[in-house]
Amino acid sequence: MAVKITLGQYIATDSPIHRLDPRTKVCVALIAMVSVFFIHTPAQLILGFAFVLAAVALARIPAHRVLESIAPIIAIIVLLSLFNLFLTNTGTTLATFGPLRITDDGVRAAVLYSLRLVIGVLAGMLLLLTTTPSQLTDAFDALLAPLAHLGLHAHELAMVFSLMLRFIPTLANEASTLADAQTARGGALGEGSPAKRIRAIVPLVVALLASSLHHANDLSRALDARCYEGGAERSHWHPLRMRGADWATLTLTAAYITALVILR
Amino acid sequence: MSGRAVADGRAVAGGRALTDGRAFAGEQTHADGQFLAHGQARSVAARLEHVTLRYESGTQALEDVSLEVAQGERLCILGANGSGKSTLASVLCGLLAPDEGSVLLVGHHVFDATRPQPIDFDAYRKARRSLGLVFQNPDDQIVTTVVEEDVAFGPENLGIPAEEIGRRVERELRRVALTDYAKADPTRLSGGQMQRVAIAGALAMEPRLLVLDEPGALLDVRGRQAILRVMGRLREAGTTIVHITHFMDEALEADRVIVLERGSIVLEGSPAEVFSHQDAIASLGLEEPFSARLARRLALPWTCDDSALECAILDASHLPHFPASPPSVPDAQAANAGAPTSPVRGAPPALRVEHVSFAYVREKNALDDVSFEVEQGASLAIVGQTGSGKSTLLRLLCALEAPDRGRIYVGDVCTTRKRDRRRLHGSIGYVMQHPERQLFAETVLEDVAFGPQNLGFAHGEVLRHCREALDLVGLVGVDDTSPFELSGGQQRLCALAGILAMEPRVLVLDEPTAGLDPRGRRGLRAILEDVRRRGTTIVQVTHSMEDAARADRIVVLDQAHVLLEGTPREVFSAAHEELLTHAGLGLPLPLVWALRLERAGCPSLGAPLSLDELVRALARSGSAVTHQEEDAPWL
Repeated sequence: MAVKITLGQYIATDSPIHRLDPRTKVCVALIAMVSVFFIHTPAQLILGFAFVLAAVALARIPAHRVLESIAPIIAIIVLLSLFNLFLTNTGTTLATFGPLRITDDGVRAAVLYSLRLVIGVLAGMLLLLTTTPSQLTDAFDALLAPLAHLGLHAHELAMVFSLMLRFIPTLANEASTLADAQTARGGALGEGSPAKRIRAIVPLVVALLASSLHHANDLSRALDARCYEGGAERSHWHPLRMRGADWATLTLTAAYITALVILR
Repeated sequence: MSGRAVADGRAVAGGRALTDGRAFAGEQTHADGQFLAHGQARSVAARLEHVTLRYESGTQALEDVSLEVAQGERLCILGANGSGKSTLASVLCGLLAPDEGSVLLVGHHVFDATRPQPIDFDAYRKARRSLGLVFQNPDDQIVTTVVEEDVAFGPENLGIPAEEIGRRVERELRRVALTDYAKADPTRLSGGQMQRVAIAGALAMEPRLLVLDEPGALLDVRGRQAILRVMGRLREAGTTIVHITHFMDEALEADRVIVLERGSIVLEGSPAEVFSHQDAIASLGLEEPFSARLARRLALPWTCDDSALECAILDASHLPHFPASPPSVPDAQAANAGAPTSPVRGAPPALRVEHVSFAYVREKNALDDVSFEVEQGASLAIVGQTGSGKSTLLRLLCALEAPDRGRIYVGDVCTTRKRDRRRLHGSIGYVMQHPERQLFAETVLEDVAFGPQNLGFAHGEVLRHCREALDLVGLVGVDDTSPFELSGGQQRLCALAGILAMEPRVLVLDEPTAGLDPRGRRGLRAILEDVRRRGTTIVQVTHSMEDAARADRIVVLDQAHVLLEGTPREVFSAAHEELLTHAGLGLPLPLVWALRLERAGCPSLGAPLSLDELVRALARSGSAVTHQEEDAPWL
């Protein structure tokens, strides 16, 4: 067994955020994620962080679990910020390393753009950490239901999404076991020239595909056996209900967006 | 015609598209289904008459099967891999419609070949609401990431009201003893616990017939026992169960046993009746339960009832001519246990593990200060329950990773440095759990050649190695077949050949016999014995204490530590019984029987680890009691 992938796995605790209607959480998270692209000033950045960190604090999830979940994405963001740092050519030059030039605009872009992305990542991750896949399915199902008139299979899409979340760790685990097996057979994964690497990965991909098909087959058998029928009426153990806290959260979010606009 | 999936158009096996509207699925179905079910006579849960089913590929999966499952009955289905058991399970839980015959499921006439429309989709849909299925792989049956939500999934699909769902979830979690895990993430549970979640999920739908398709095949000892306990409780509650298994001893608990062979029922009756057909059982690739084998070897009246056998042995040991059985042909295992074939004395050990610790995440060691040695050409069994660190130990032994602390030597190469580890790949063969999953090439030969090619052997050399490996595992004449077209058992052999073709000095296997039928298990054991006789050191993780008892040495892992280490005789002793049970393990059956008999008043039997040893010990004790027959011909 290799390292468990912890990307966005639901953490069961009881908190105001956990208790919110999943539809509220999905809406707020989406709004927060889109809003980061309108953040251009330090004041807005601070406001954004205040908003998202308050939510994280309310969710009562251990800080290290949150960090663990966002770490892989943060690594990518840091990489992006380095690009920003070295490839921005406008503004006053602060320092030069050979052909590379660091400008004040570059520093600004590197810091601001990467930090604002962190806000979005935190918001998205918080949604996944505090909402079970079944709740997410129900929420997407409900939110996308109006689109069903346009021929969109909202419920099926939501179910596929939730099964995807469920199977990411399983498949990741399988991939690492298969990679072990190939390595032990002298397969050169992650070694040598790019061409060689690509050739080495083919056996892994084929085996993983075959095993995914196997999982899919089993899963469809399990879904049938449990009388799941796409699009059919089902009951809900915990039916969705908007409470006072949900309306309050939506109002707060509206206030946050207004403040962002004012601080422009 | 061909076997047809009847559920909602997913995975349609046959030629005809079967998606006919989702309109039926609503509330009206529910009411009708319930009404019909209650209206019918309750005595028969399922009735199959002359059912024949062919897959599209032309494979005959079921041939003229007639079968009745009575309400409240516990029926066990046995048969070799590929005998049609799983297909029959699919028919019984309404997921697959046959080609001929008629099928009645929980009061619904779902299929009748004499009707103009043989398949009644609506009846199938209604029937499925009262049918439950749990199969081998727990991973694939869990659809969400919270235990209680998963149990609620089925009832939600049935449109059960919320309060009732809550009641059922609570009740079923209590029944499978997982109440404390209601909020847990199922993917972080052990296989046995996940399987119990799956059972709770099926039970929460209150099925009139529950089909369990090899639910224990992938579990460790403790996991399997827990499943059997749950099944016992279900029997008391009157649930109708169809149980498919490869473990003969589990079949003894059933009311009735049927044995399938090439899609037909060849034996049927109470467990005692079925297992009394010794020759048939053997020729079908199955084996008798341990107690029956013991009774036969002691020439006692045939029985597969433990307490009856105990009485018989205790009575017989006072008879002058006990036991009267001719010596059996010593099987490979007995010969092996007696005389170690080759461990090379004086040579450096094949594997040396010195104070090894390893952790995936800080503060939680997956292995803690583990030390042992394996001699060249010897065999080592690693036992321990799920999560004890076995798989981690295998990864380190295969030089896939370096230990955090301590050292591992393979021959005289230390695995600490990456360059050395790479050098070792190939000389340590790693057969992962379910190795058939690593198959990828277009033909069997190409797949087997992957390893030797990577090691840079010349073309002729590669071919010779592959040929030898395929001969060794007994896969002949399939060189150009796609590995995906082989049967499950053959796929495993093909994957094994792929490792053997690299001619490893050490062969490391992770539960090589998991999911195989008795014949497959015997075949694989014989192959491994062959490999060992050629001087290859064998390390295997196993859930079977009997398999472990056949090794030269055993390492028992518990919670990242070595709990016990030594020869089978040192590890499996009466003194360690409690320790091993506590670690979720047990003793091999021959020893369990010896202890049982001693406690019932038999003189000391030593510590027999194989059936032969037990029989011999009983023979000695018999003569000791009666002071007769000192030169018995079987000694």
